[in-house]
Amino acid sequence: MQPFEYNLHEILEKLAAKEFSPAELFESCKNRIDSCEKNIHAFITRTDETAKAQLDKNPSSPLAGVPTVLKDNLCTKGIRTTAASKILGNWKPPYDASAWKDLREAGAILMGKVNMDEFAMGNTCGNSAFGPTANPNDISRVPGGSSGGSAAAVSAGYVPFALGSDTGGSIRQPASYCGVYGLKPTYGMVSRYGLISYGSSLDQIGPFARTVRDLQLVMSLIAKYDPMDSSCFREKHPDFTHREDVSLKGKKVALVKEFQSFTLDAPIAEAMNKVKKILEDEGAIITEVSLPVIARYAVACYYALAMSEAHTNLERYDGVRLGYTVKDATGIKEMFERVRSYGFGSEVKSRIIAGTCLTEPVRCEEYYVAATKVRTLIAQEFTRAFGETDFILQPVTPSLPPKIGEVDEDELKGYETDLYTLPVNLAGLPGLSFFTGYSDTLPVGLQLIGPRWSDPELLNAGVIIERHTGSPKIANGGLK
Amino acid sequence: MSELTFTPVIGIEIHIRLKSDSKLFCSCSTNTDAPANTNICPVCMGLPGTLPRLNHRVVEQGMLAGFALNCGIRPKSLFFRKSYFYPDLPKGHQVSQCDLPITTSGYIEVHDDNGNLKKIRVHHLHLEEDVGSLHHSASDGRLEGADTSYVDYNRSGTPLAEIVSEPDVASAREAVEYVTTLRRRVIYSGASDVELEKGMMRFDANVSMKCSDGRWGKKVEVKNMNSFKALERAIEFEIKRQKKLMLAGEDVMQETRHWNDAKGITSPSRVKESYRKFIVEPDLPPLYISQEWIDRMRAKMPEMPDVRADRYVNEMGVPREVADFLTDDKNLADYFEACVKAGAKPVRAAHWIRTEVLRVLNEKQLKISDFHFKPEVLTDLVTRVDEGKLSTTQGKEVFDYMIANSVSIDDAVKSLNITEGGVAGNALSEIIEAVLKANPDVLEEIKSGKDKKGKKLKFLQGLVMKESKGQAKPQEVAEAIAEAVK
Amino acid sequence: MKLTSEQVNDIALESRLLLTEQELAGAVRYINNFLEMLDRFKELDLKDVEPFSFAEAIECPLRDDTVIAFKDNEAILHESEHVDGPYFKVPRIMEE
Repeated sequence: MQPFEYNLHEILEKLAAKEFSPAELFESCKNRIDSCEKNIHAFITRTDETAKAQLDKNPSSPLAGVPTVLKDNLCTKGIRTTAASKILGNWKPPYDASAWKDLREAGAILMGKVNMDEFAMGNTCGNSAFGPTANPNDISRVPGGSSGGSAAAVSAGYVPFALGSDTGGSIRQPASYCGVYGLKPTYGMVSRYGLISYGSSLDQIGPFARTVRDLQLVMSLIAKYDPMDSSCFREKHPDFTHREDVSLKGKKVALVKEFQSFTLDAPIAEAMNKVKKILEDEGAIITEVSLPVIARYAVACYYALAMSEAHTNLERYDGVRLGYTVKDATGIKEMFERVRSYGFGSEVKSRIIAGTCLTEPVRCEEYYVAATKVRTLIAQEFTRAFGETDFILQPVTPSLPPKIGEVDEDELKGYETDLYTLPVNLAGLPGLSFFTGYSDTLPVGLQLIGPRWSDPELLNAGVIIERHTGSPKIANGGLK
Repeated sequence: MSELTFTPVIGIEIHIRLKSDSKLFCSCSTNTDAPANTNICPVCMGLPGTLPRLNHRVVEQGMLAGFALNCGIRPKSLFFRKSYFYPDLPKGHQVSQCDLPITTSGYIEVHDDNGNLKKIRVHHLHLEEDVGSLHHSASDGRLEGADTSYVDYNRSGTPLAEIVSEPDVASAREAVEYVTTLRRRVIYSGASDVELEKGMMRFDANVSMKCSDGRWGKKVEVKNMNSFKALERAIEFEIKRQKKLMLAGEDVMQETRHWNDAKGITSPSRVKESYRKFIVEPDLPPLYISQEWIDRMRAKMPEMPDVRADRYVNEMGVPREVADFLTDDKNLADYFEACVKAGAKPVRAAHWIRTEVLRVLNEKQLKISDFHFKPEVLTDLVTRVDEGKLSTTQGKEVFDYMIANSVSIDDAVKSLNITEGGVAGNALSEIIEAVLKANPDVLEEIKSGKDKKGKKLKFLQGLVMKESKGQAKPQEVAEAIAEAVK
Repeated sequence: MKLTSEQVNDIALESRLLLTEQELAGAVRYINNFLEMLDRFKELDLKDVEPFSFAEAIECPLRDDTVIAFKDNEAILHESEHVDGPYFKVPRIMEE
């Protein structure tokens, strides 16, 4: 086996045992990237050459010499950060995102900044100013989005782990499409400082990896209070230490009543049954919870809020202080209009207009304010549900990854497929997207949801399920 | 038919810079005099991925300013995003408490045209961030006609309190009294120095007219007034303008107008008022203020100037006009009270500060805070005058000498070879005799009763005072001479 | 009620966006479908429901009022093509 093929915790063991050196690991990953990248196109910016210099720095630190990649909406000091948009041009942030700072100080090596849907708006990774990324399991298919580049990079064996962000499913859905594990942590557990905002009250940074144990490793490094993010919780000190002696005996795992009538692709329905069986074998009790408000209103509520927040988050891109600009405008209004009209892609423009529309004085009460109240009902509904159950088991998406370019024309139909992921963000809950097996070449993932701050328990449950399903193998990355 | 009368209905919005070392949401210095774009950071430049962090002291300053306006404090307030595009606004929205402000309503008392006290209701005070500052290329430095503008973001993110009044103001004069009183009270509270020359206080006014025939003119928002004078002139101009329109039977358009201080007119704003919409600032959780915190801050509130002035008048017998003068400047009033505390007779001390101390301050271009003449020393001096050890004239000489040579009272008295206690009894009668001898004709005139107006008498008194080098007591001299000429 | 393309275009301009015919048509369809989806809210009685602010009670943390200068303001200025001397230079603000 070559170094790049090992999972994160194995890599740490082998580096410690000097079975291979950080330099050998680096070269192995770099070669893997060089051979697959033409098929996958996960990178927006590669930094491996400059990263090489970091290799021998702080050898004693926990991730010393471990390569990783970041979704390109995470700010990296002195390294181009684009959010996959033309409007940021060649912007080089003067600071690091807190989550990346934690990893960098732990010795992680940055191989590059990876692709995403522009400003995290999309679920295919095809809505990028830098072109689409392919799914390493089947390069004719999408890797999912918006964190498609991060999921693809881990799935293809570029790096053992990566960071992405999840506003309505942007970690869990691509993790499922690419056959890796992805955690959307509890809102307020990981600092958002340095994450380019989409829907600030929904955004959360989280890890991708090829084993649950590796997620635990990464979470133990990035789940900590950061004074730079006022929505971060000070009191909480989650423990992500990996344990073998974990059990699901007597734990309640619920299915959502209202979702049972929805159609699922056969492999996903089968996966649901398979995992139910696993859980029962482990002594868990399968129950049912009812989430009527969520089933009917979550999608509308989510998009109303995401767009209302997004359009204000995107008001700062005016060409004056950074990024793409024009020099020959005769007036400031013309300058703003030309910069924004050229700089933003059409999906982003549509969402800006929608958000502006909803928050106009004439519609604010009817739509934006109403949505904030519906959100309260949704959060309450989850609180009630978690009074009756420990976890909720459900699909991540109703179908397997579509072919690139075959994505539905009607955007809103695309939105409906997010019903399984976005309620979690509305209530600030943690959600684990986990691997269950393969249907032909395509991986099939499911999702486990818990109450706020149950992230460690979710991962423990994931560890148990992984024992039965086995871990995903590295995708061929389009190589024969 | 009777002539139409018009009543102005005026509401005033005030922006005041609150006193703090660092900005509202980041740790940059609030020093706006620094070289352009040196006090900036990723947060106040609105760079992607940055998040706001609320300044503890600014919250307390907002509470103090609120107390100064007789406002209550809300246990829970929120920040919002107020959207509009402008090059001095880095995020394209201003973070402001506009919709759920830190304070409830309050009021400021002013005098109406009949001299009666009336309340101008304050709707609320809220915290918000300031924008950057613009410099325009136009020759007159104004926005109009400027082909390019230069942005300095040093001011971006500095803390402001916006104070919104109810439309209770009825004249330009009332407006000025409202903002003057308000400014003085805020300074007293310690929430801000409100240095006008540094643009720490800016005004907008909503002016409309009510006609005796029942017509209501539309509301006009007048912006861009940066001084009391500008506020007064702008309001007067608008009142005239709207009156004229309504007299001519025309409608007053609802619009935003800009005050042009150079031309002394308001004109329709040519910067398109991009409408504003608010969404909750998702990056800042609600601001909760406990009763305990409120009480702690309230305990910090000093006596307000008007209350203080009343106390000087009622308890110390200081004339109203002098009391108002002293309390106008908190430091001056504090100096005065230090003197009283040191044992000075209030009225005399008040007058001395009003005349002598102020004269020196003006001559030396000093603030009272930079005045090194200790209250205790001034007390000693005025007490000696009070007890007649020094005449008023001598007191002033000694005072000036001390300032000029920074020496103690006694040294000054010595150097000016003044005998404290002055000339009296025999010494005085000797001088008088001498003076009378030297002016027999004058004496004659007085005796023969020609000096009806007592001018000659005064003349002689003057000579005697002069002979005594001002060390005699005027009333004694007067009596003694009156005696001598009988 | 559905929005006309004029209305959508006005909103776009408020957001400083100039849309091509095609983009405008797309945006109109998009917004109207979207608003239709949001009309579901009308089924709910939201009168006494508190607007959501945070997933759980959290107080706004307060920062001490201490100045910590950001050393590298050059790195910020460096990113703008409009920097002129110490300033950001922008074209005419006042509209004709």
